[in-house]
Amino acid sequence: MAAGFKTVEPLEYYRRFLKENCRPDGRELGEFRTTTVNIGSITTADGSALVKLGNTTVICGIKAEFAEPPAQSTNKGYIVPNVDLPPLCSSRFRPGPPGEEAQAASQFIADVIENSEIIMKEDLCIANGKLSWVLYCDFICLDYDGNILDACTFALLAALKNVQLPTVTINEETGLAEVDLKQTNPLNIRKHPVATSFAVFDDTILIVDPTAEEEDLATGTVTIVMDEEGRLCSVHKPGGSGLTAAKLQDCITRAVTRHKEVKKLINKVIKSIKPK
Amino acid sequence: MAGLELLSDEGYRVDGRRAGELRKVRARMGVFAQADGSAYLEQGNTKALAVVYGPHEMRGSRSKALHDRALVNCQYSMATFSTGERKRRPHGDRKSSEMTLHLKQTFEAAILTQLYPRSQIDIYVQILQADGGNYCACVNAATLATIDAGIPMRDYVCACSAGFIEDTPLADLNYVEEAAGGPQVALALLPKSDQIALLEMNSRLHEDHLEQVMEAASKACKDMYAVLDQVVRDHVHEVTTLLGE
Repeated sequence: MAAGFKTVEPLEYYRRFLKENCRPDGRELGEFRTTTVNIGSITTADGSALVKLGNTTVICGIKAEFAEPPAQSTNKGYIVPNVDLPPLCSSRFRPGPPGEEAQAASQFIADVIENSEIIMKEDLCIANGKLSWVLYCDFICLDYDGNILDACTFALLAALKNVQLPTVTINEETGLAEVDLKQTNPLNIRKHPVATSFAVFDDTILIVDPTAEEEDLATGTVTIVMDEEGRLCSVHKPGGSGLTAAKLQDCITRAVTRHKEVKKLINKVIKSIKPK
Repeated sequence: MAGLELLSDEGYRVDGRRAGELRKVRARMGVFAQADGSAYLEQGNTKALAVVYGPHEMRGSRSKALHDRALVNCQYSMATFSTGERKRRPHGDRKSSEMTLHLKQTFEAAILTQLYPRSQIDIYVQILQADGGNYCACVNAATLATIDAGIPMRDYVCACSAGFIEDTPLADLNYVEEAAGGPQVALALLPKSDQIALLEMNSRLHEDHLEQVMEAASKACKDMYAVLDQVVRDHVHEVTTLLGE
């Protein structure tokens, strides 16, 4: 009976739940789905992390390569993110070149890296003007159930924490780089940006961590990226219904709490793999 | 090749296995919520994920629909971080397209496509970490995913690779053994009826040795069948216990 009503009038079905201040999967409006993270499972990558936000699963693999620093800033390296939403994660995606959503997500992650200064590009330089690291961050969504941006940001943070770069010295005489694979150093992670996404219903109600169904029914979305000192790194609101300043302030408050939860989780995971 | 002994005098390979021994296989079915059927399989260090959608209506060009059977659509893709060197093109390059075609042909032989005319079955395989035996891990993972999706098949499809070093056939080659350049055979078998779905061999092998290598590959496939069968039974047992049957 309920299933029939849900198919015919999905929005009405949802409104009935929202009136009681809860959602069909039993969560409250401000509650996140169970978050699990697994670090370092892919040994061929220099750093890797698998993040599950409820059913949404994203795996991030980071590979480091050498490159010449850019001409305008010879003391910087590169970080290149790429988000892939393959047809295996959901039937809404077709095989072929990256669609709109994948490209928008890639650009969002690039902006987060740039704005939050999670890694200073100067740290990636090995020899000024000659050699620097380029970190390719590849995200593959394995199961799409909404809220890709949060999952990708979290996976990025976890994977970067897991990266071990070998020490590189430039031989004075030959000018060639010598790589020592046994001496590895972790990256210097300066800031810890955490993203929190909200979906807007009927221009008034805000729900946190939307599933794919909720995203389809929503009239707008907002993503807020915070870092640890309660500083706002970025606010991403791609069109959709308007929000008052008060509502935006509520979102920011929720994002601060979420940051604490995520930080605790990451620290717990890092500690559990420490014995090396 | 210089310095690396693929088969020691005592009969041990580089990773400590015996000539006819398979790598450790770990598999889970039903890992993803969105897909109709999914499976994750690890064969040693090779990690493969298979996802099946279908049978469903034809997407894209209706003209490609077959009037009497289902169309099997595969895609083989390797993650850019799956190999030692970063892979620039995850799919669409020649090797991936060839693998895709082989997967499609293998599964068309095994799935009872006549039961679903004018529909489409999608099989997507993703390699997360490549350490030799990529095709074989994909076929095994895809078999589990197809079973998880409830699509009727003639038989399991079990695949394994085999090589030949110093007059000894080796089963289930890893990346080091594949890169050494000796003859390699990839075999996809329907174990109960002993029918070969796909057989691929490269490099050169004397015809006198062919039978030995084929037998080693066949035996390895049957061992794989035992493992996969156990995985399926355990999964069904777990699911029915949860349902309270």
